[in-house]
Amino acid sequence: MTTTLGPADYPLSVRRPDLLRTPTGTPLSDVTMAAVVAGDITNEDLRVSPETLQMQGEISDAVGRRQLAENMRRAAELTAVPDEEVLAIYNALRPRASSRQRLTEIAERLESVHAAPLCAALVRESAEVYEARDLLAPEGE
Amino acid sequence: MTSTLPSSGAAAGPRTSKRTEMLESRPVNLDGFVEEWPEKGLVAMESDFDPAPSIRVENGVIVELDGRPRAEFDFMDTFIADHAIDVDVAERANAVPSDEIARMLVNPTVGRGEVLDLTRGLTPAKLLDVVKLMNVVEIMMAMQKMRARRMPANQAHSTSARDNPIQVAADAAEGALRGFAELETTLGVLRYAPLVAIGLQIGAQAGRGGVITQCALEEATELDLGMRGITGYAETISVYGTESVFVDGDDTPWSKAFLASAYASRGIKMRFTSGTGSEVQMGNAEGRSMLYLEIRCILMAKGAGVQGLQNGSISCIGVPGAVPGGIRAVAAENLVCNMLDLECAAGNDQSFSHSAMRRTSRLMPQMLPGQDLVCSGFSAVPNSDNMFAGSNLDVEDYDDWNTVQRDLQVDGGLRHVRSEEILAVRNRAARALQAVFAELDLPRITDDEVEAATYADSSADYPLREVLEDLKGAQSVMDRGVTGLDLVKILERTGFSDIAENYLQVLRQRVSGDLLQTSAILDADFVPQAAINDANDYAGPGTGYRLTGERWAELKRLRHVTSAENPEEEVS
Repeated sequence: MTTTLGPADYPLSVRRPDLLRTPTGTPLSDVTMAAVVAGDITNEDLRVSPETLQMQGEISDAVGRRQLAENMRRAAELTAVPDEEVLAIYNALRPRASSRQRLTEIAERLESVHAAPLCAALVRESAEVYEARDLLAPEGE
Repeated sequence: MTSTLPSSGAAAGPRTSKRTEMLESRPVNLDGFVEEWPEKGLVAMESDFDPAPSIRVENGVIVELDGRPRAEFDFMDTFIADHAIDVDVAERANAVPSDEIARMLVNPTVGRGEVLDLTRGLTPAKLLDVVKLMNVVEIMMAMQKMRARRMPANQAHSTSARDNPIQVAADAAEGALRGFAELETTLGVLRYAPLVAIGLQIGAQAGRGGVITQCALEEATELDLGMRGITGYAETISVYGTESVFVDGDDTPWSKAFLASAYASRGIKMRFTSGTGSEVQMGNAEGRSMLYLEIRCILMAKGAGVQGLQNGSISCIGVPGAVPGGIRAVAAENLVCNMLDLECAAGNDQSFSHSAMRRTSRLMPQMLPGQDLVCSGFSAVPNSDNMFAGSNLDVEDYDDWNTVQRDLQVDGGLRHVRSEEILAVRNRAARALQAVFAELDLPRITDDEVEAATYADSSADYPLREVLEDLKGAQSVMDRGVTGLDLVKILERTGFSDIAENYLQVLRQRVSGDLLQTSAILDADFVPQAAINDANDYAGPGTGYRLTGERWAELKRLRHVTSAENPEEEVS
């Protein structure tokens, strides 16, 4: 992407359909009933791609919604993480569910395996706060 | 002083007047009212125990928030300081006198953006200090300008006391046709969820393509149904205003923020839920007022980067409803949500009063100025079937609501629809679900059930289902990994191409991510309408959303309107 998107590009599905592809690379315009019936579309196609989330984040930023944009960028990272792992990380972030070591491992895995530094930072930050507020599980649990 | 009151002389106590007896029997006196108890947080928004606003920034970090130094922050303070408040404007914004900010809020010549430039830097106590200065009319004035989306919309519940998926489908179809932009369901028996969520989705798309649906469940299952494309958005992601209550809810701001990213990563719209009274109801308000704690929730949602919030007390409405100024505080919490540039699904949800007059007055602060979603659960089923414990409004109120819209020329998101049209979509929704059940080898839906769905009011009007068989079917839907796409294919090949196409259009939204932007809903042409392409541009009389033209013509119609030319004729 060379230019930054703004409010004039929203909704992308109407104004910039040329930019939209499914995670499997199918252009959105090819997601039609005929393609569905022919079996050319899978549930995996009906997901958002990391590139699209980055574009939506640009639009959020352009209209002054910094935190929403940050969420879009974390979400872009999480597109690569399988459903079960996403749910497991969520559960690990619950109070007293994880030791500091476990949270560190999750952060490291997010970074090294999934290339998700923003999500890793959120998990690391939680470990700091949980430690200060006595919300960690004892080591080994 | 000697009593001068007349005495009945009987053992039954002092004689009362016929007037008092009449008043005693009024429905409003079945409601619960209680004195304030500020030390325990049983106070709406004006408490001596709330902190005074303060902020101190050092090297780009907030080191003091509302009188508390960083070393003493609880996790809410930390999250709000590090994520919600925009540090670059914080000291400047908090230095502006509260009355000046309050006046900017009501002054139509001050634009929404100008206000947001200050509110994005305010502390919880400062936000409270501002709205405390405003009476309910000023709150409404401010809401009219500050809500995110220009055109208001509405949301309904479609549930069944018997978790009957056919009922949920038929009532969803009717609700969608009547104008609700979002439909929500939940369960009595949780294991029914997949069947009821399928019924809701198919019903919605039979009623009006583009209505989005959700099924309120515990977080993991809700996300699962969303990822399969059986539901379209999620809302019941609860957040709380004190650390202790948050932990009791088995979550933290970080777990919820991660969940927000998880939903967005699957292209699924999501909002958090909070509301005044939840902390005191859960027994740990830490001596703060209900609104102060709610403002912390709103800031937490903002900091997480979720696009919106369902607030307006919601399931705790009985608590603010019982204390002085409580309903004003509920309006103020919606306004703060607007002031932080979040989508607001504004309550008018769980029932709280026996009094028709109180029920109506409770919804005026949201209905008149308009909200992104005026109700976050108008019951599109009779309240006896409402599995969210009943709503402030239910199907009995449809014609009243439409009449109030017409009387006051206000758009509350609904419209009158002629009976034949309603019967047609109810029937079609039930038949579509019948076909889907047959194709998925689920317990049969009989023609009698379709007939019942077409003409029913409540769950009592339907033949009983074999619950155990249905639950086995529901489990098999999960085990087989049935997805929204599977349902689209079935609808297409069983002769429900229009519903299939509508459903596919909704699923396609996940690819575009357009519904992830603030206040996004889908119009009848499947165009996302968000606080970007339909941003609120209110700037005084004659600006912003106006109920005119085709939409106003639509809202002039009621069940019975007499022809001006021929008084014998009705024109509805």
